[in-house]
Amino acid sequence: MADYDDIPTLKDNIDRATVDSVLALDVDKYKYGFETDIESDMAPKGLSEDTVRFISAKKNEPEWMLEWRLEAYRRFLTMTEPSWAKVHYPQIDLQDMYYYAAPKSSPAPKSLDEVDPALIAMYDKLGVPLREREILAGVERPNVAVDAVMDSVSVVTTFREELSKVGIIFCSISEAIREYPELVQKYLASVVPVSDNYYATLNSAVFTDGSFVYIPKGVRCPMELSTYFRINEKKTGQFERTLIIAEADSYVSYLEGCTAPMRDENQLHAAVVELVALDNAEIKYSTVQNWYPGDKDGKGGIYNFVTKRGDCRGVNSKISWTQVETGSAITWKYPSCILRGDGSRGEFYSIAISNGYQQVDSGTKMIHLGKNTSSRIIAKGIAAGFSDNTYRGQVSAHAKAKNARNFTQCDSLLIGDKCGAHTVPYIESRNGTAVFEHEATTSKISDDQMFYCQQRGLNEEEAVALIVNGFVRDVLQHLPMEFMVETQKLISISLEGSVG
Amino acid sequence: MTTPILEIRNLHARIEDREILKGVNLIIPPGEVHAVMGRNGSGKSTLSYVLAGKEDYEITEGEVLLDGENLLEMEPAERAAAGLFLAFQYPIEIPGVATMTFLKAAMNAQRKARGEGELSTPDFMRAVKTAGTDLHIDTDMLKRPLNVGFSGGEKKRAEVLQMALLQPKMCILDETDSGLDIDALQVVSKGVNALRNAGRSMLVITHYQRLLNHIIPDVVHVFSDGKIVESGDKSLALQLEAKGYADFDNAAA
Amino acid sequence: MAFSVPVRLGAAENTLIEQLNSAGAAATAERISVAGLPTRRVESYHYTDLKTLLRSVPPLADQNDTLDAFLKSGATPFHVEGAHQITIANGAVAYDDNAPAGVIVGKAEGNALSTRDDVLVHLNTALAKESLTLTIENTIEQVIQIDRRIEGEAAHVLDSAKIFVADNASVTILETLSSSDAAHVGNHATYLAVGRNTVVTHIVIDLSPRAATQFSTSEYTIADGAKLRTVTIHAGAALSRSQIFARFTGEGAHGDFTGLNLVEDGQHNDITIDIRHGVANTTSQELYKQIARGRSKAVFQGKIVVERDAQKTDAKMMMQGLMLSNEAEILSKPELEIYADDVVCGHGSTCGELDEDSMFYLMSRGIPKAEAETMLVRGFIEEVLDPVENEALAEALHGVVDRWLLGKAG
Repeated sequence: MADYDDIPTLKDNIDRATVDSVLALDVDKYKYGFETDIESDMAPKGLSEDTVRFISAKKNEPEWMLEWRLEAYRRFLTMTEPSWAKVHYPQIDLQDMYYYAAPKSSPAPKSLDEVDPALIAMYDKLGVPLREREILAGVERPNVAVDAVMDSVSVVTTFREELSKVGIIFCSISEAIREYPELVQKYLASVVPVSDNYYATLNSAVFTDGSFVYIPKGVRCPMELSTYFRINEKKTGQFERTLIIAEADSYVSYLEGCTAPMRDENQLHAAVVELVALDNAEIKYSTVQNWYPGDKDGKGGIYNFVTKRGDCRGVNSKISWTQVETGSAITWKYPSCILRGDGSRGEFYSIAISNGYQQVDSGTKMIHLGKNTSSRIIAKGIAAGFSDNTYRGQVSAHAKAKNARNFTQCDSLLIGDKCGAHTVPYIESRNGTAVFEHEATTSKISDDQMFYCQQRGLNEEEAVALIVNGFVRDVLQHLPMEFMVETQKLISISLEGSVG
Repeated sequence: MTTPILEIRNLHARIEDREILKGVNLIIPPGEVHAVMGRNGSGKSTLSYVLAGKEDYEITEGEVLLDGENLLEMEPAERAAAGLFLAFQYPIEIPGVATMTFLKAAMNAQRKARGEGELSTPDFMRAVKTAGTDLHIDTDMLKRPLNVGFSGGEKKRAEVLQMALLQPKMCILDETDSGLDIDALQVVSKGVNALRNAGRSMLVITHYQRLLNHIIPDVVHVFSDGKIVESGDKSLALQLEAKGYADFDNAAA
Repeated sequence: MAFSVPVRLGAAENTLIEQLNSAGAAATAERISVAGLPTRRVESYHYTDLKTLLRSVPPLADQNDTLDAFLKSGATPFHVEGAHQITIANGAVAYDDNAPAGVIVGKAEGNALSTRDDVLVHLNTALAKESLTLTIENTIEQVIQIDRRIEGEAAHVLDSAKIFVADNASVTILETLSSSDAAHVGNHATYLAVGRNTVVTHIVIDLSPRAATQFSTSEYTIADGAKLRTVTIHAGAALSRSQIFARFTGEGAHGDFTGLNLVEDGQHNDITIDIRHGVANTTSQELYKQIARGRSKAVFQGKIVVERDAQKTDAKMMMQGLMLSNEAEILSKPELEIYADDVVCGHGSTCGELDEDSMFYLMSRGIPKAEAETMLVRGFIEEVLDPVENEALAEALHGVVDRWLLGKAG
């Protein structure tokens, strides 16, 4: 069992860079809460077969896609909302929101020159690099290509040319449906079936955009691929769909970020992400989720109900999920791995921070089907304010998953006595040769650690940020380098007002 | 010529795809103590596991005779009953099984395998007490679960206690000096030396010469890249200590 | 939402509704007809889907019929040297005028449990006719055995016991569940009020034959400074579930909740615990071991709840599973639900086969494979049985495990 004295100490876990970045913190809170004034093309309000047809028509989709959506819509009508998660919210009125909103200016820009400058400016403000030419003119090779999705459409995808030289397809899913129908038909819903769950089925009916990535056999993607999701319009749900296919012996690292304006209404974000890794392929998927969490009284914020699943379909394939969850009023999200190929490996590294009245119910599923499959789960939950933070995870070894291995470590930290931290693992061994190890701890920041930091001149809030950054370090180090420092700042900001 | 206690002929073994033993030849006559020295990763510990019958290894070539009998055909427990004893480098902790219970089970299992009757409890207690005294093992330690929470010294003393009680023909000591301070090393070595006799042979595996000051070998072998590359008397150990293993690497190539 | 679709009721549910209505428990009957028996969608029954597993329920037992006949036969399924035995047969509490000094044995109408929203509790509350009442006034050396048995033809039996351990008292209470070889359904309830500064050991063993289904619910309230140890052992029945609900109500109390879930071919045994730290400065340790062989299912659901005011709680839970066959399943859900910040809580869960290195070590000392396995399994279990202090009792418990290891249990 865990050594319970083994909560992070300063010495081991916090380096100088962390201290500096924490000390250099801005004091602003949710700094992405601005709204951009861009005229939008909207679908009629509410969910109906007509809405589904409207979306499909807007996207110029082929007939098969419309049929697929309608089938999903019919399934959806027979389903009920899940109630097992430890989250509470008023009934969502699906008829009181819009399912499609697109910037009017340039629905399908051919190049960056055609993109509305207001949009580019908005992404600049968010710190998302879309100015391809400037980056290309820079001294170094580009290291990130971005697909920018605002409300219901992809507004621009950078570095497509560069990537296509090695055969990589990186575009919006709408475009992929038109341009690469055989790939989409082969893989779409092959990981998350249409009727997988309530929100996934809703997504299948009304998804509007998202990213599509195809890495051909033997190709190691030369740069990070990234999608930046932005909800801008009022009363609009965002239903994005992402599909990533890594052919045999390929590698890709993908990062997703998301923000939304501050509003006092709750907005629904119900995404589906599917990953397919074939023989010896590796997909690394990182998320920094920073949807608007609501105000200090719990008003407003995004309902983030997301289905993310990776299928390690090939032998020795590997899928690794890293997530930093700081935003959303409610998070309901379980990035999972189906370890189908013999020798495949799944990883899940998570930091989930909740403050104010946020509710997080997040974790993963590692489904071991193939022989010699292994998985590793490191989840760090930090609850502050009046929030509830639940880790929910399933590890299961099927009868045929000979020599399956899992290691799980879940640690929770409580800051203050009005919040809750919960751990709900489902550990299912159906195979004599499977070896599972699971450990969970819950603790608070020790008075000794606080005193030590304060004695060295940090105020209470800085000390908490510092210690928390140490607490989550095991996970942070799995993020691409570029995002580590950014994330450390984000963590500190998320915890503001949690002490004193 | 008398039958050697241990005879290893051209032994090759692998774990998964990696060949670790690459043709080991070794003959240990009765009563002799042989030392095998080599750097970490040279395959010394593999040799001890292969001789004791650990499942993970696949023997691809060669044979091993224990007192003339084919060792490789036997199960680990049969090898033990036939007189082979391995003092583990890292003795395994067995929670919930009192050391005393384990000792009795092991002694009686071996007796049974050899067609001897079970020891009576008083006889068993007497034997344990006698053997334990010299090794500074008290009854309190014997009541604790086997090796659980034992210090490094306690674990190694417990190994030697088992060796004393089981009276093997062939003892293999795998890095017995690791994790021991000088006092513990003396106690353990004294225990081992007390067990030396004309009918019992020993194979002492170590990578430091230090242990061989206490347990003085008749023959020293240098192990490198999965086989014995040089053999000599105890002065070879001193030579190794002075010059290191580098000189012998070419011989292995 | 969930209740808008009418639930299709099966034979077991229909029988239960009938039995409840005939006992005048219309409200409980209504509950079952609306919701049915719990399925895996009900979190607390996630791995024990009663709707699927409980196919039929036999008629309610006729208590008067069997008690006398059985008392004359006097057979005890599990005998502990020196224990004082009190029998509840087919739900009826046998008269006991022989209790040791300091132990007051009586009977009360009705049932023992609180109004918890759980189907097994509802059924017991509605259908158990009388409760054994047991008051422990001071330190009792003798083991008090409550022998709960089901005799005769297949019957649905609901029985109940209320135990009060007075302040500063100490006692070991052993409950044994057994039955004749028929498709009984037993539903046993115990409420145990653990008084201030008491030392209490409460053991429940299920030894029923493989035709039976056994449910048991134990509820505890634990007062200041008390030390409670519980041991739950499943070594019988085709389907069994033991529920433990404990709440710390006084500071400075400590609880050790332990158990062995031994399952073999065809069995589905479930231990579900819910331990609530309701006040500050209490500690608990939960240690459950599951061993599965053949085609069987072992289930452990463990929840530790630390309430808002329960600062300085120290709670650690461990589940260890040992798979002795490839067809077995060991399912575990160890949960933490924590609302106070100054706490140290944790859980661990491991599952695997016998350790290869340990097997090799034992065999390298000459111990044959089968014996080495038994030795390791015994060692694995020891952590649960070792703390039982009463020697005769400890020996009897080891006997249960040994019989299981030899394949002679249940």
